[in-house]
Amino acid sequence: MRQWSLFFRKEMLEMTRSYKWLWVPIVFLLYGVMQPISMYFLPDILKHAGNMPEGTIINIPTPTGPEELAQTLGQYDTIGILILVLAMMGILSAERQSGVISMIFVKPISYLSYVGAKWASIIALSGASFLIGYAGAWYYSHFLMSPIPVGAAIQGALLYVLWLSFIGSLLLFVSSFLNSAAAIAFTTIGGAVILSVLSGLLPRYLAWSPSNLSKMAMEFIQTGTTSMNLTAILVLSIGCIVACLCGTVLVISRRQKV
Amino acid sequence: MYLATTNIDWSVLAPIILPLIIIQIILMIIAFVSLYKAEATRGPKWVWALIILFVNILGSVAYFVIGRKDA
Repeated sequence: MRQWSLFFRKEMLEMTRSYKWLWVPIVFLLYGVMQPISMYFLPDILKHAGNMPEGTIINIPTPTGPEELAQTLGQYDTIGILILVLAMMGILSAERQSGVISMIFVKPISYLSYVGAKWASIIALSGASFLIGYAGAWYYSHFLMSPIPVGAAIQGALLYVLWLSFIGSLLLFVSSFLNSAAAIAFTTIGGAVILSVLSGLLPRYLAWSPSNLSKMAMEFIQTGTTSMNLTAILVLSIGCIVACLCGTVLVISRRQKV
Repeated sequence: MYLATTNIDWSVLAPIILPLIIIQIILMIIAFVSLYKAEATRGPKWVWALIILFVNILGSVAYFVIGRKDA
């Protein structure tokens, strides 16, 4: 436990020094706030765009607050995940390439505390960034569109944090066996996309897939309930996260012993 | 030209848009501070300065992800 907290503090320090604790939350906040604002002003923007033929009538219903908040999650599904993966793709491979990792494991340090600290720092940064952006989107959707039920919004946020944790764990696992940062980012995002597409195409076979977490979060925000199997998805997602962590520990320990 | 013909009510617009602009400027300033302090970047510094200045949000993101050497 002492080793873990030491490594965790070291990761936090590194993330602060590389400005990650500043720019990742700010970018999340910007994208979260921009979505409701641009939807709110969309009719005006189109009206002033100018190159419409005379007499064009565009009728876009202004979305309700919950709808807008759910759309923001859709935004985070693409750009948010991209930014998180880009920010943290080097978290393990950079240390391996610079040789720091070999120097660390010269001493009797448990692989679990090392990997666990990396994992916790990924979750801390992505969770905090997401919650800041979500709060911004919530505020604007609430005041520009319509009020959002608090309980449903919090449930949606928790589910989405779990989805981001799953992606963070996948990133850590992928970076345990790949060296190039670009390959790590590509594989992680590709994996997440393939999972989402497959569970959209084959809803019957992948009803419990972790990629349903983000869809379920959107459902919760809009309706307050979900049509999916909540328990099964939660259990499977947490299982996947644990499996990714164990896999990372296993690969790193094998690589260091050789 | 269109701005002249359409009257925009800034008193309604400003409280909604201003926070967004301020956050963007903060992000830009952080990127510039980091760029100024960095000893070396991937690619010339002045190019990164232009990218941060003119490419709205993703310019700063690109600098932090690609431009910083110690990232």
